[in-house]
Amino acid sequence: MAAIDQTGGAAQAAPDRARPREKTLRRRSPALRRAFPYLLVAPAVIYLLGITLYPGAYAVYQSFYLVRFTEWIPVGFDNYVELAGDAEFWQAMLNTLLIGGIALTVECVIAMALAFFAYRDALIRGWRIAFLMPMLFMPSAVAFIWKLAFNDGRVISDLLRKLGLIEGNLDFLGNIWLARTTLIVADVWQWTPFLFIIFVAALQSQDQEVEEAARLDGASWPAIFWNISLPMIRPVIAVAVVLRGIDIMTMFTNVFILTKGTPGGMTETISYFIYRQGFQTFNFGYASAAAVVMLVITILAAQLVVKRAFKSGKT
Amino acid sequence: MAKRRKSKGDNLVLRYLVLGSWALFCLVPIVWFLSIGFRPRTEIITPTPIYWPTFSLDAWRLLLADWPIFDYLRNSVLAVTGSVVIDLILGIPAAYSLTRYEYRGRDDIGFYILSTRMMAPAIVAIPIFFLFRNLGLLDSVFALMLIYAAVNLSIVVWIIRSYMLDIPKELEDAARTDGAGDLRILWEIIIPACLPGIITASVIAAIFAINEFLFTLLIASTKNAYTMSVALANFTGGSDGVIYNAIALVSFLAFLPILVLIVLIQKHLSRGLTMGAVKG
Amino acid sequence: MARIELKDVVKRYGGFTGVRRMDLDIADEEFLVLLGPSGCGKTTTMRMIAGLEVPSEGEVVIGGEVVNEVDARDRDVAMVFQGYALYPNMSIYENIRFPLRMRGIPKADQDRLIRRAAEMVELGDFLDRKPGALSGGQRQRAALARAVVRQPQVFLMDEPLSNLDAKLRSSMRVQIKHLQRQLKITTVYVTHDQIEAMTLADRIVIMEKGAIRQIGTPDEIYSDPADTFVAGFIGAPPMNLVEGLAENGRFAAPGLVVACPGGVSGRVTLGVRPEDCHVVGEGLAALEGRVYGVEPTGETTYLTLRTGETLFEVKAARDARFNLGDLVRIGFDPDRLCYFDTETGARLRVQPYRSVA
Repeated sequence: MAAIDQTGGAAQAAPDRARPREKTLRRRSPALRRAFPYLLVAPAVIYLLGITLYPGAYAVYQSFYLVRFTEWIPVGFDNYVELAGDAEFWQAMLNTLLIGGIALTVECVIAMALAFFAYRDALIRGWRIAFLMPMLFMPSAVAFIWKLAFNDGRVISDLLRKLGLIEGNLDFLGNIWLARTTLIVADVWQWTPFLFIIFVAALQSQDQEVEEAARLDGASWPAIFWNISLPMIRPVIAVAVVLRGIDIMTMFTNVFILTKGTPGGMTETISYFIYRQGFQTFNFGYASAAAVVMLVITILAAQLVVKRAFKSGKT
Repeated sequence: MAKRRKSKGDNLVLRYLVLGSWALFCLVPIVWFLSIGFRPRTEIITPTPIYWPTFSLDAWRLLLADWPIFDYLRNSVLAVTGSVVIDLILGIPAAYSLTRYEYRGRDDIGFYILSTRMMAPAIVAIPIFFLFRNLGLLDSVFALMLIYAAVNLSIVVWIIRSYMLDIPKELEDAARTDGAGDLRILWEIIIPACLPGIITASVIAAIFAINEFLFTLLIASTKNAYTMSVALANFTGGSDGVIYNAIALVSFLAFLPILVLIVLIQKHLSRGLTMGAVKG
Repeated sequence: MARIELKDVVKRYGGFTGVRRMDLDIADEEFLVLLGPSGCGKTTTMRMIAGLEVPSEGEVVIGGEVVNEVDARDRDVAMVFQGYALYPNMSIYENIRFPLRMRGIPKADQDRLIRRAAEMVELGDFLDRKPGALSGGQRQRAALARAVVRQPQVFLMDEPLSNLDAKLRSSMRVQIKHLQRQLKITTVYVTHDQIEAMTLADRIVIMEKGAIRQIGTPDEIYSDPADTFVAGFIGAPPMNLVEGLAENGRFAAPGLVVACPGGVSGRVTLGVRPEDCHVVGEGLAALEGRVYGVEPTGETTYLTLRTGETLFEVKAARDARFNLGDLVRIGFDPDRLCYFDTETGARLRVQPYRSVA
């Protein structure tokens, strides 16, 4: 610590005083005082720059090259031009939005409905953990559960058949919407609890007096929920949905294990597209160009949506 | 006096019907999958599913004999623990700086840290892969440790920050007039006072690290670095296809510690999952 | 132990000035109370003495030494906080020990000092407890013990009693004053409670909007207010302030006429304390008003009268009983009247008027 020592003048302690030695007054330099908070936060920031700024720059740089093993051939904007005309890329974008959008909507609706029924219920409180179970499995394990149920084990087909809804077996990998449904079901099953527990916690932590007042004013529970409780927890809903949205739009594990993009690339997400271009066809420059596009979208979304959600979410 | 009547929407039958069905939907696949782990291989993939299988420990034998399951376990434990330690060492001072000091750019730094949470693994996957290859760290637990720590650092910082915001400023002023310096205040006053937040952050980071898939898939290529999460994808017996009973068993091996961790921080779970935005 | 001086101290936060140009000299062993409404800068002033805030301008001098750049930890100043600020993870014993540990007091002496401090505040039996297991009053005493234990040069107390209930507050008040007299440590005490200020202080500093309005002993502050702000702030109920006109030795306002010193003239505000008013018969009255409210407190009865547009508080006999709307006549204690300039609020210092009769 940079300190200018100066002997304290007022330390003539009486014998009984609790002051053992001549006191020195440390004077901290204003510069150090000002730098100190930066020094505390710097290691974390540098570390994070290492996995965002460096790879981001690297991806941008690589996206201007055709990478063949160790050979890098500069190609200018060719990768981007090709990307713009690549139907698979656009299909992956669309798939991501469709699958993610539907799953996110379904999860929100179910979680909200469940939260409405659960948040005033003491009985459910004790059993809350049962509702969380799916979330506690590794995503790769969840993907296998549904892979077996939908595809390999034909359990879903069998159940539907027993209900008399279908005959024979459904080929969940052979039909675009059936394949997408498997991804959506797997995501909904695992992550609805995430939204559920957050909604319930938010509903329970709000001021009960407001609901009680509304009740005395003669409002029914659904009316109270819709008109009073929900608006009060809107900031929390925003944060939860944004966090879920981030994960869902970067979906990879389920695609990798469940569908591998079949049929015909109709379940391929952007993350999987980049992975496939990079690590299966070893077209690293091209994959990097796609990654850069995704990065730009991420930064825009971060500025527009996430910043606002977290600002208002702070209490 | 108003007539006594049940208010609308307070229908208990409907309530428990809805909640009960969802609970079933959550639990039945889990129970069924657990049964997969204890049935013979021949009763898993059949023309029509078998719902009441014969009990068998085939999967256990297979796992212990043919697969280096303890290596996977060790890799997971090491990488996860190491990453959480790194996160705490970097994250606690950062959170402290973001909560307790006023300085230029503080909010931007805070938001930058938060925004790294949004970075899709796929975006940085290729450069990270090349980076670790050049560093000679591919297929090592150390690389996993570093990458998990990076992925979760934003979460750790924001959760701990949220708990630190709850500590009254007076406490720190008191320690300062009592003669403590900045670092000592952090160590002796702030850290003990926000211990629940630190534990919550650690647990959430640990769970996310256990789950991590894409980076691990790229970095790990042998049992030197395979974790439980990625090892699952390798349980295939060539022409026999996916070995589901082994997968089911390993899934539950990972599930149990996560369950324990979650029960441990149950009260703080929603706050942790929202990076501190909900005080539940 | 130490004299504290503030020389031309200014504290700004961005565009907002928290404390403007403050000059204050606190004598060694003095008990000084900073009193004022919330937001008046009293806590900021104290925090600058503590070293928790750095003045934007001016000098803070403790024990003859400029300490502007000296960190709070090295100022040898102990502070008691409104919320007690006990370290929740430590036992009371550890809490009291903390400042000793930070100052490197030898282990051998620590225990003796801790126990003596705890005895002083009658907390000897609670040393093993955590702060969470103590009542509000006990926590308050623990905070005091932590401040006392190291015999600092200066005690700073920031509204230490405001979280206690009324009864506890008055007993703690006595205890704090006793401790300060016993230890002879210069003490600065911040409060917005005038009873605390009056009972504890050697001198009171009244602050408003970052500036000092008056410094004086409790008696001076009460009987001889420097301006209408102090007059209206001190006393419960506070001094009655009536705006009117003074000319030719007469002060007049609606419903009120009183003889005033010759030097007072023009637009003037008259100040009268409720206890300097008496219910009188016809002819002697300076003021006539109709009863607006009657508040018997047991020891006395407060009457609120309506005269013209203003309400006027009078302290009457304990058995005085009136009905709403009754006409009441009031006479004043003539040498206790104060006159203020209505424009500036400043006190008009003139020869006090003496009744000739």
